[in-house]
Amino acid sequence: MSLLDNPFAGSSGNKISCLEMLQAILDGDATEEQQQYFRKHMDECLPCYKAHELDMQIKQLLKTKCSGNPVPADLVEKIKRQVNSIS
Amino acid sequence: MEETPRQKYTEKEKVEVFNNEFLPHINSMYNFGYRLTLDEDDAKDLVQDTYLKAYRFIESFQKGTNAKAWLFRILKNSFINDYRKKSKEPSKVDYQEVESYYNSDDVDRQITTDLRVESLQDMIGDEISNALNSLDVDFRTVIILCDLEGFKYDEMAKILDIPIGTVRSRLHRARNLLKDKLSVYAKKMGYKNP
Repeated sequence: MSLLDNPFAGSSGNKISCLEMLQAILDGDATEEQQQYFRKHMDECLPCYKAHELDMQIKQLLKTKCSGNPVPADLVEKIKRQVNSIS
Repeated sequence: MEETPRQKYTEKEKVEVFNNEFLPHINSMYNFGYRLTLDEDDAKDLVQDTYLKAYRFIESFQKGTNAKAWLFRILKNSFINDYRKKSKEPSKVDYQEVESYYNSDDVDRQITTDLRVESLQDMIGDEISNALNSLDVDFRTVIILCDLEGFKYDEMAKILDIPIGTVRSRLHRARNLLKDKLSVYAKKMGYKNP
């Protein structure tokens, strides 16, 4: 795929900034074709490469460090009891 | 969220939907509740209220559709109505956010952040968690929905009742604010920035 055919460009044909491409990748909104284009783009754009590395690492850290608080053991049973009492 | 025609469920079906489609999301729901209220007891109450409401309004849920987004939306609304009211602090989100998106200053800021990958590797977990918790709740919420739960723009827009453009710009702002907080921690840890 040539870098000239930017799959991020909308039907309007507007030039898409690095920031906009990076955000689509980061937010999980990029198609497979867009991801492929961006990987290629990073070979030639050091600021994008660095920003992508940092942002993806933060995203990964968030996922591993900020989820998985154990649900209090009695919560599910309590909810089930209450639902049974109103059904 | 779009209007779903009212479903007709038998009592048995209701319990099945509840057990098979709603309860499997309890971990994510509790984490969301906890990250919003920042209090374990409040999170428990919020999750419990949400599940009871979900059961009560189960006929507006269509079996086999996106239960997780539906539940997250109820939880978010309960939080706004029941918990946020208790706190006197008004929301600090600047609703000019869409207009100020993608301006050139912001583009430069994004690319030249002084936070380094190496400093992140030494953060043991508390730093990132504290940084997230310290964000204003509206910014915190989009990070949770996108990065912890993997919701897409259209799902977040429905959960939060805001346009997709606002979701995108709010996420962008939230990521920058989070990086600012992490930079402060990195400096405290002795990382010298260029």
